[in-house]
Amino acid sequence: MSDTVHNTAHNNDKEASRPEAVAPRRLPFTSGQVLLVLGLVMLALMAVVTIFAPLIAPYDPALTSASSLAAPSAEHLLGTDSIGRDVLSRLIVGGRTTLLITSVAVFLALAAGLVLGLLSGYVGGIVDDVIMRVLDVIFAFPVFLLAIAVVAGLGPSVPNLILTIAIVYTPAMARVVRGPVLSVKQWDHVEAARSIGMSELRIVLRHVLPMVVSPIVVATSLTLAQTIFTITALSFLGLGPPPPDPNWGGMLAEARQFMELAPLTVIAPAGAIVFATLTFIVLANGLREVLDVGSVR
Amino acid sequence: MSKADPILRVRDLTARIVTRKETFQAVRGISFDIGAGEAVGFVGESGCGKSVTARALMRLAPEGTAIALDGAVDFHGQDLLRLGEVAMRDIRGRRIAMVFQDPMTSLNPVMSIGAQIDDIVCRHMGLSRREARQRTVELLASVGIPDAAHRADDYPHQFSGGMRQRVLIAVAISCDPELLIADEPTTALDVTVQAQILRLLLRLRDERGMSLMLITHDFGVVAGMVERVNVMYGGEIVEAGPVEQVFHAPGHAYTRALLDAVPRLDSAGQKQ
Amino acid sequence: MRRMVIARLAWTVAILLGVSFVAFMLVRALPGDFVQTSAGAQNVASDVLEAARRELGLDRPLLEQYLIWLGNAVRGDFGYSFVTRQPVVGEILPRFVVTFQLTLIAGLIAMAMGVATGLASARLRGRADWIVRLYNGFILAVPNFVVATLIVLVVGLYFPQIAIFNYTPFFTDPLANIGGLLLPALSLALAVSVTISENTRAAVLEVSGQDFVMVARAKGLLPRTVLANYLMRNALTPIVTVTGLQVATLLGGSILVETIFAIPGMGQYLFDSITSRDYPVIQAIVLLASAVVVIVNMFVDIAYARIDARAQS
Ligand SMILES: Nc1ncnc2c1ncn2[C@@H]1O[C@H](COP(=O)(O)OP(=O)(O)OP(=O)(O)O)[C@@H](O)[C@H]1O
Ligand SMILES: [Mg+2]
Repeated sequence: MSDTVHNTAHNNDKEASRPEAVAPRRLPFTSGQVLLVLGLVMLALMAVVTIFAPLIAPYDPALTSASSLAAPSAEHLLGTDSIGRDVLSRLIVGGRTTLLITSVAVFLALAAGLVLGLLSGYVGGIVDDVIMRVLDVIFAFPVFLLAIAVVAGLGPSVPNLILTIAIVYTPAMARVVRGPVLSVKQWDHVEAARSIGMSELRIVLRHVLPMVVSPIVVATSLTLAQTIFTITALSFLGLGPPPPDPNWGGMLAEARQFMELAPLTVIAPAGAIVFATLTFIVLANGLREVLDVGSVR
Repeated sequence: MSKADPILRVRDLTARIVTRKETFQAVRGISFDIGAGEAVGFVGESGCGKSVTARALMRLAPEGTAIALDGAVDFHGQDLLRLGEVAMRDIRGRRIAMVFQDPMTSLNPVMSIGAQIDDIVCRHMGLSRREARQRTVELLASVGIPDAAHRADDYPHQFSGGMRQRVLIAVAISCDPELLIADEPTTALDVTVQAQILRLLLRLRDERGMSLMLITHDFGVVAGMVERVNVMYGGEIVEAGPVEQVFHAPGHAYTRALLDAVPRLDSAGQKQ
Repeated sequence: MRRMVIARLAWTVAILLGVSFVAFMLVRALPGDFVQTSAGAQNVASDVLEAARRELGLDRPLLEQYLIWLGNAVRGDFGYSFVTRQPVVGEILPRFVVTFQLTLIAGLIAMAMGVATGLASARLRGRADWIVRLYNGFILAVPNFVVATLIVLVVGLYFPQIAIFNYTPFFTDPLANIGGLLLPALSLALAVSVTISENTRAAVLEVSGQDFVMVARAKGLLPRTVLANYLMRNALTPIVTVTGLQVATLLGGSILVETIFAIPGMGQYLFDSITSRDYPVIQAIVLLASAVVVIVNMFVDIAYARIDARAQS
């Protein structure tokens, strides 16, 4: 669908009197590869900062100082917040919490989705019906509303946030897995494997799983982007990880009060959130093109 | 009806299809004439460039591609290839019209049949909506749609394939074009319906005195229908002449091969 | 067709039942109940707490509580707010109207922007396509609450004459009301417009390749006629479907945007109710929002099937 070039009636007109039209020049790499590399570089950058956060951060993120809402300076590259804490340090350490919750939660959702999706798609019949109907019900909730309700009830702690997000994104993951499994299991080599008496578990591991890897990789990447949104939004509402630990959504919310005095206190966490989300979106688009996966829903 | 005064004179027409990935020369310098009121057949295997030739005459490129054209297409003394797009739009549908191969996909599914004829009539004949609808109903009746006044409000999915092709023929003849291009108008239809559609086309040509460019890959179709035939192969016209002559004394090996593929009633390998 | 509608209706009712059950259990099964929360740190005798629970019906088995609640809910009775002791419906309705207005305006903005950019990128192709796709990719990465916060920041810094935190009720001054909702709606609409844009682009490209578009051009119709009657009328179906699916995103986002712009809508109310564990209100809002989403999707499905039937049967 995307290999569409200049055409349509009016263009044709020009082409008609300019018969030397040539094929557009080709680049040595595809846009998908560019996106993928870009996404990986961004991811690596985030990973390094996250892993070595305590070493990189110039100050203790909880350390208050007398200079509150200070403008950027050599000491405080991004200035300080309303109670004099170093914004850069909080940003670096805050990313840790946000990304930790995000990655563990998505990993859990992926695992649960994989099991449910494989079970549903591969076993079929009544198992499929039951699983899909239950997931349909969860799916019917607006994701963010459901997340708020669950976190509010469980109480905002890191494990609870992880659990909530895992619950909320499991149905989408299960659907992504189930689709390809349904078509894969009809294939000849799966039939053949069964006819030579291979065990069902081995069939799944050897033949079915590899086929669903590409769509899952892309969907995981997109879910990571959405999770960054959900987790920072929850934190923004005060439903994030509890206070002493900084986190991006919470920083944004706290800074709103004085943001006209120190715009950087808002712009910095906003930029971090956008960067993290963008990383996974770029990655997803790159993967989608390189792995040649259609649109994943 | 003679070919003394051709209304269409094509010289050295080449068409290159330009896509993002490649440029493909689909028509390689062909020349032919079509006389007033004459029916000319174009025959050739799939992919030999018949449709591209037809679209080139109307300067229509499929979406997502551009067609680079060269040569001359002289229509009543005007070179269509040098014409501006606005002027070309007045010719499309009005003076040169086209019937496409697949009636199942050629009608807009969300517009009523009548509305799809009304719009071309309004566009080219400057009729009011009411007058246009009246003409639409007459047209539908003339291509053999029973109860045309009522059926005009129906949607394409309520029509069979043969009926849809009749509708598309009504669209094509709606503004009394001088030249009707029919690009494999029967390929997608049942055998029994095919004959009806071909007979309809012939009848309309006689009644209206328009020229007909009939494209097909089946020699059997052109045999009884056209005066002259052009045989295409690999983007070129490899043989041309009166239909009897080509039929009975094919000069080109490829033409002979095509003729052998025509099912004969007396042959054993009769095709469905 | 009628069969399909009935089946879809039945399925919607089933989903709604499931949703109501989950909503009920979710909120009720959570640790820490309202009585305890309102007692707070005070040392209240346990029999007083028990009496309070009995009065509120919290002592009965969960399933029974659910059935009672559901029976009442179906009759439009969502009980009384634990906090204000007023009927929940009366509390929610005016706020629901505000949120409805906000999401409606946001939906319209998103639709306009999405269709315009999607159409531009599909029709113009080449560079315009690239610009739109880059823009979309970037905007998708900016969450609505970040957009909203940045809007508030920019207005505060550079346009202090614009009063953004003054919500005007519709019946006081309709124009001021809608004007005041534009910026919140815009922040809500941006990300949604990207989804609509991408789907518009795909739909238009798909329809462009159809034979009937070529036929329309072969008729010599004006480009605008081809665009309106042949391209868009067919591309609209998937576009509307996608927009319908975005209602959930809009409703979820309204919680954030209402909080940021101090709009007295359902989102803000939900947030307050969660803080005070006002079960009946939380249940009603979660159920209402989910019901809206489920029902909108049902209508979209049915409309889609109708147009589809026309196209294919
Ligand atoms: N949109 C396109 N993009 C690329 N190549 C094309 C396109 N349309 C046609 N071609 C190429 O141009 C050549 C001529 O195609 P054309 O459609 O004219 O064949 P045809 O003679 O009409 O065949 P058929 O009997 O199948 O209709 C073919 O080889 C085809 O591959
Ligand atoms: Mg063809």
